[in-house]
Amino acid sequence: MSSDQDHLKETDTEKRFEFKKEESAAVTSDKGLTEEVVRMISDDKDEPEWMLERRLRSLKQYQEMPMPTDWPGQPDLSGMDIEEIIPYIRPDVDKREGADSWDDLPEEIQDTFEKLGIPEAERKALSGVGAQYESEVVYQNMQEQWEEKGVVFCNMDEAVQEHEELVKEYFMTKCVPPSDNKFAALHGAVWSGGSFVYVPEDVTVEMPVQAYFRMNSEGMGQFEHTLIIAEEGSEVHYIEGCSAPKYGTHNLHSGGVEVFVGEDAHVQYSTVQNWSKNTYNLNTKRAICEKGGTMEWVSGSMGSKATMLYPSTILKGRGATDNHITIAFAGEGQDIDTGAKVYHNAPNTKSTIESKSIAKDGGRTNYRGLVHIADGAEGSSTSVECDALMFDNESTSDTMPYMEIQESKVDVAHEATVGKIGDEDVFYLQSRGLDDDDAKQMIVAGFIEPITEELPIEYAVELNRLIELEMEGSLG
Amino acid sequence: MSTQVHAALDEGTVREISESLDEPEWLLETRLEALEALDGLDMPSVIRTPGREWTNLHDLDFEGFVDPLNAAEDKDQVGPDEVEVLPFAEAVDEHEELVKEHFGSVVDPQDNYLTALSTALFNTGTVVYVPEGVDAEDVKVRTRMNSRSLFNYTLVVTEESSSVTILERQSTGEDVEGERYYSGLVEVVAGENSNVQYGSLQNLDEETYNYTLKRGHADTYATIDWIEGNIGSRLTKSSVETYLKGDSSESQIVGAFFGHEDQHFDVNARVWHEAEHTTADLVTRGVLDDRARSVYEGVQDVGSGAWDTNSYQRENTLMLSDESEADASPKLIINNHDTEASHSATVGQVSEEDLFYMETRGTDPQSAENMLVEGFFVPVLDEVAVDELREDLRELIAARLRE
Repeated sequence: MSSDQDHLKETDTEKRFEFKKEESAAVTSDKGLTEEVVRMISDDKDEPEWMLERRLRSLKQYQEMPMPTDWPGQPDLSGMDIEEIIPYIRPDVDKREGADSWDDLPEEIQDTFEKLGIPEAERKALSGVGAQYESEVVYQNMQEQWEEKGVVFCNMDEAVQEHEELVKEYFMTKCVPPSDNKFAALHGAVWSGGSFVYVPEDVTVEMPVQAYFRMNSEGMGQFEHTLIIAEEGSEVHYIEGCSAPKYGTHNLHSGGVEVFVGEDAHVQYSTVQNWSKNTYNLNTKRAICEKGGTMEWVSGSMGSKATMLYPSTILKGRGATDNHITIAFAGEGQDIDTGAKVYHNAPNTKSTIESKSIAKDGGRTNYRGLVHIADGAEGSSTSVECDALMFDNESTSDTMPYMEIQESKVDVAHEATVGKIGDEDVFYLQSRGLDDDDAKQMIVAGFIEPITEELPIEYAVELNRLIELEMEGSLG
Repeated sequence: MSTQVHAALDEGTVREISESLDEPEWLLETRLEALEALDGLDMPSVIRTPGREWTNLHDLDFEGFVDPLNAAEDKDQVGPDEVEVLPFAEAVDEHEELVKEHFGSVVDPQDNYLTALSTALFNTGTVVYVPEGVDAEDVKVRTRMNSRSLFNYTLVVTEESSSVTILERQSTGEDVEGERYYSGLVEVVAGENSNVQYGSLQNLDEETYNYTLKRGHADTYATIDWIEGNIGSRLTKSSVETYLKGDSSESQIVGAFFGHEDQHFDVNARVWHEAEHTTADLVTRGVLDDRARSVYEGVQDVGSGAWDTNSYQRENTLMLSDESEADASPKLIINNHDTEASHSATVGQVSEEDLFYMETRGTDPQSAENMLVEGFFVPVLDEVAVDELREDLRELIAARLRE
């Protein structure tokens, strides 16, 4: 790591994530979910009529759908009261589509993201960055060289205005329809902010583009939408980071991510989530992958009270590939229910899922996955590997994979192991002079290495620091 | 459940069954309570993912299959002299206290709709009682069902430091027009340091719907090993379960199934580790041909008091046809960190390379495939410690391949 990444070594990482800002907002919606709130959001964004109609239809679907309560062993959602959530807060920023210059941002927002290390990261390693504060993207920048090639990276609200035809065609129509699940419907009704990424044919964006989502207000819901369209032969790496400080009342994060991977295109979507431990994190993330395309999901789920998140990929075209690498860490009072879903709908498609989880201090982790191989998807192969590490006897770790195989000419393998941290390994390291905590930390670092390897250095460092904090028990 | 109550499914029928078996009042009461509970009970659990029920038991009209007053069977139940192997009614007569103590202690009669139906209506069954210190190698129970429906109840009680090997076979005898229903409940109460091997081979005809629940409680140092072979039936919903209740108890569940045509197998292997130093090993292999479908659910549940647990599970399915479908969900539920647990599952087809290799050695394609399928079952057959059962299973597999 070079010296200009010193900010990432900041030992007091707690400061980086746990600070709160005075709330100062231009527009704040009422609590709860009503048609008035939905109309108000749409009106505040000056949206075209069709988007308002989609929102209202989603709201209706949301109201008609039951809460998911019958999943075996699912996290307890009973503490979440949608009527107490503020679905929309527009921070006090002059320019609606986000400032072009970092210096144009209000100082408090600047300060927030400085503390998170976002502008440094942008200068060093990113093609573009977007920063969302509450419900709005407050800063958006794309390096000129990529803009010249026709790459679009802007916030979703702006995309609705500037790239209306594309958004109209792809927004919650093919990938994540609101009818998909109750929280997708909720998202469709009150979504706000998020990223729009468009990469034209054969363009390779060599450096990652990044969006960072920050929830600052108490009792709010954040519903950002991310839409990535990678045309034939293109390549892009999108990184999303999330955080929120800790509050007494519950927050809700219900994002939506839709990724369209064109023929022979390659999209990597990396995320490290560190919501505060009173946040319900209920997302829907899905990719559709055309012939020869590759989709890669890399995710670290750290924070939140309860997470239900199963990024999924539909391998639609022959020879498409999907890779999932996920890590979950559940500490005290946390229930991280996450996994991966892959639908093999075409011949010769391949997928690999590598999932690691750590449960400590009474936390619960669960891998809930689905591999579906459709009739006709001959020559497909999938391999699922889940490893769980448990620190103590208050913690729980479950594995619930599902495999639906409708085609015989396939190769399917699932493997899972659960174990405690090896006494012998700890002893060995102690005999080499490390104290107990350091030894365990080192073992965990080794355990999650396959994940951190896939992340750009900033995120790898962040993930490691977050886990160190969890191990020290100083966070939350 | 709110299906229409069949004319024969009423209190009078239950009383008639109980009376014909000359049962004591407590057993009649248990039956009547089960009958009464039916309306409020749900079907046995099946794997469900949002939007999908993998085995739709609700669509089947179980009450429509029921013809409890006309049950008919051929049954052989034999065992060595020092062990009691008795028809259920006779056991109630001769060992009432024993039966009363254990009946329903492992499988709650009101566990689900089908167990309640079975408890209310069963009119045949076997009690195996192994006294302290006795080793019994050869207990055999063969049931041939000759009627539209048959409800079979098996209770096995082993006392301290005894051991028993039980071989159970279910098949259909005389032809009956239309669809049929076989229901078998098996309870095993394995006393301290006792050893139970329970092998079961189901080869019912393919018009028969089959529900079986086999569950055992293993006391300290006890071992319960299950072998579950499923070849026949139209639809089988089978659960084989062990509760490791005593320290250092162990269980092995070995399963094999071979489905063809439109057969549907929903097989479950489940173990609950409730005590310390317990060990479980679950091995299942299945082959599917034609339009056959399998659903496998394996559960390894490690309780918070189950220190020093070892638990392993493997499931492999071989698909011979494009029309077949195999679903699997091996679940790990771990509440104690002092655990070594793993599970794995694979689905695949006969390896092209292996086939090619055998063909180059002069074997015709069909024989080569058959040999590979037989070979696929070998690791499971090797786990079957009972010679006779292993041979029978091998023979049934070979017979199906010749079809």
